[in-house]
Amino acid sequence: MQARGAVSIPRAWPNWLPAFGFAALLGLALFGMELLEPFFRWVEPDARSVIYARASFVDLLGRHLLVVGAAGAVTVCLGLIAGIAVTRRYGRDFLPLAGQLASIGQTFPPVAVLALAVPALGFGTPAIIVALMLYGLLPILRNTLAGLDGVDPALKEAAIAMGMTPRQRLWRVELPLAAPVILAGVRTSITINIATAALGATVGASNLGDPIIAGIINANMAYVIQGALLIALLALTVDSLFDLLEQQLRHRPTD
Amino acid sequence: MVIVNAGERHPSPNVVLIALGIVMLCAVWLLGVVSVAPNRIVPGTSYPLVAALGMPGALLVTLLLGAMTALALRPARIHYLAMLLLLVMVLLLMPFGLMVAGHFLIDPALPQARLGLGAAYWTLSFVLLLYLVELRLRLAIKRLPTALLLVAVALAWWLCARLWLDDLALVQEFQARRGAFFSAVGQHVLLVGVAVGSSLLLGLALALAMHRFHRLRKAGFALLNFLQTIPSLALFGLLLAPLAWLGANVAWLGNLGVSGIGNTPALIALIAYSLLPIVRNTFIALQQVRPDTLEAATAMGMRGHQRFWQVRFPLALPVLIEGVRITTVQAVGLTAVAALIGAGGLGTFIFQGLGQAAMDMVLLGALPIVAMALIADAALGALADITRHGGAS
Repeated sequence: MQARGAVSIPRAWPNWLPAFGFAALLGLALFGMELLEPFFRWVEPDARSVIYARASFVDLLGRHLLVVGAAGAVTVCLGLIAGIAVTRRYGRDFLPLAGQLASIGQTFPPVAVLALAVPALGFGTPAIIVALMLYGLLPILRNTLAGLDGVDPALKEAAIAMGMTPRQRLWRVELPLAAPVILAGVRTSITINIATAALGATVGASNLGDPIIAGIINANMAYVIQGALLIALLALTVDSLFDLLEQQLRHRPTD
Repeated sequence: MVIVNAGERHPSPNVVLIALGIVMLCAVWLLGVVSVAPNRIVPGTSYPLVAALGMPGALLVTLLLGAMTALALRPARIHYLAMLLLLVMVLLLMPFGLMVAGHFLIDPALPQARLGLGAAYWTLSFVLLLYLVELRLRLAIKRLPTALLLVAVALAWWLCARLWLDDLALVQEFQARRGAFFSAVGQHVLLVGVAVGSSLLLGLALALAMHRFHRLRKAGFALLNFLQTIPSLALFGLLLAPLAWLGANVAWLGNLGVSGIGNTPALIALIAYSLLPIVRNTFIALQQVRPDTLEAATAMGMRGHQRFWQVRFPLALPVLIEGVRITTVQAVGLTAVAALIGAGGLGTFIFQGLGQAAMDMVLLGALPIVAMALIADAALGALADITRHGGAS
């Protein structure tokens, strides 16, 4: 079970502040990287240029988000459908296998999945989207299974006794109760995918990993710092948004 | 109870195994079985089943897979055992299929020509693994015999590869860099070992401190969660600059080998990532020991440190090992990324191979990494089981 975010930080400040703060920093880094030029000049006094200029940071961020978003949308749909299907009566037979698959899949390192996807699919953005989909599916599937499994059987029986149809039971009882666990799975999946997508720069899919790889190849630390800073801020922004969503879900009114 | 036990009745067919069987049959007939390339850079042309194995071979494969599917129609223990036997046969025949394909398709006049594994081979291996998992659940086979079976199959494959499969691209790639391969494996294991070992020591100390001092708890977990969120490539990148500066400007650190590129930033980042799972599991493990157990220990006259080492620690051990398992599996993957900043290890093959568009080299790096992660997972999982049964209850 994912315990990510289980230990919450005490907040004297409003709970949207971290998300807002990281997003503001990300915006600042996107548009105001030139302001830091003296710092980068100090880091790399001899380099010809100290601000990554092969593509604008906004472009790179857009491509990064496109890859992660496309893969995320597909995985959330597929993971939820698969998780729901194997917990219904018609799909029960597949449940043990799906559970085992989800836990075995967690041991495959994301880099290896990316590396294995490239020989099959070729270089470029499609390969990385498929790799992210393959890898991101398993945390969502696992948490969907865990979340649906964790619903109190007494509540399910009560729903049957109230005369709810299977569809109503799923939408009104099981999914709302499983939602926090499923959301935690989505969060893990997206966080890992933001990190793995950065590696896509090594397989010809241009995104925020580009400045880092270019910096390492040309021994230009300024590029590396710029790429690393943007990816880190993006990851922190998205993660704190999920944190916010989880809190909303936890404190929602019970009816 | 309202829930109907439809699956309990004996003769109802095993839908899962039938579905997997049909997937395998489709895969071998519709996807490319092998590919042949004139050298290591040019992408190969792919050949279907009949071209690769000839008509007799194609019929044999179809017969074996068809039998596995047909047996699943009437599941009984004896049929499951027969399916297991057939599964092992298919696994053992897989390298021989490659030999036959090599014999048919490789022109002896082209010394550079090499045989690649086609999509059908990959799909078949993956689906067979799922098949084995399902059979294992049905036959209630334990973890150890399954692992031994897989090790035996892997050994058979290795033997075939060494003796007869010189045409196979993966084998050629391995033979071209045998020395580099083994030193990369060693380096990978060393990096993972040092990172997990030192984060275990650090993490234990940190968890104990958090256990004792409440104030440290929230700040500590907040910091570790924060670190875990930062993508690995970014953390490696952010460590490069300050470490390069320290290595260049502080003489004794430079003498210790601290520099921007290489092992130091890799180890620091690996340890930073490894701390969260270890600290979290150790902390939870220490917290979950029941107070009345500890009171009983006190009543028996145990002193503080006796109570810790003889009661609390052994009871916490399985969850702690679980943390080490998660950490090790994670570190095996992250070490591959560390190759980008010159830390060495198997990731070197992946990224060099990607750079040269030599896919067999990528496989040479990626497959052992997957194997290593699976082995670490299985071994530490078994260890946690042993301590659970030996320690508590």
